[in-house]
Amino acid sequence: MNHLQSGPLDLAALLQDTRDDGSGALVVFAGTVRDENDGRPVRGIHYTAHAPLAEKVLAEIEQEVLRRYDIRQCRILHRTGSLSLQESSVLVVVRAAHRAAAFEAARFAIDTLKQRAPIWKEEHYQDGENRYLEGTPLEDAGQ
Amino acid sequence: MRITVECYGMLRQLAGGERITLDMAGSTVAEALEALCHRTPALAAHLPRIACAVDDDIVRRADPLREGDILSLFPPVSGGMA
Repeated sequence: MNHLQSGPLDLAALLQDTRDDGSGALVVFAGTVRDENDGRPVRGIHYTAHAPLAEKVLAEIEQEVLRRYDIRQCRILHRTGSLSLQESSVLVVVRAAHRAAAFEAARFAIDTLKQRAPIWKEEHYQDGENRYLEGTPLEDAGQ
Repeated sequence: MRITVECYGMLRQLAGGERITLDMAGSTVAEALEALCHRTPALAAHLPRIACAVDDDIVRRADPLREGDILSLFPPVSGGMA
């Protein structure tokens, strides 16, 4: 299964792929491009990734989420390339029998991928400037 | 030994490009980084926050490199508020 793609993310396809009659709860998280960050008007974000390692890490996170929580499905899909306002950069879909686990699992999935996936965000501002956001050093940074 | 260094995120701006061919003495990741910082001193301050990979495996500073390896440098990832 692929976890990275350069085109628009297809939520309907992801929901169809994860369809599960044993699930009573579906939680979807979508990260979308916002029009402002740190007081600066944003016109878009460019996402880059180390694709082979990002694929590996996102697959590992899906499996970890399935182990940690009482859920039935977890899928993560991340987009690379240039995104405009309100386009989705990432989708997390979790299905479970019950909602508590579904919410917690989805939260864990997005929080974890933001710490572990080799994916970078470059914001493009209305004033024409660009800036890479600096987030979390990977676990083995500096070692 | 000659390797290729691939820079990601903001390191691309610092290094002046995505890919750098590096002729280095020694054979470890640490020695590669030393050679890289000699070439591009601006990278040195960022090293403590940089992780490294060869292919799709994270490597540590003491790990060996081979001729022709592609060493990827990863600055802090993602960003944005929770």
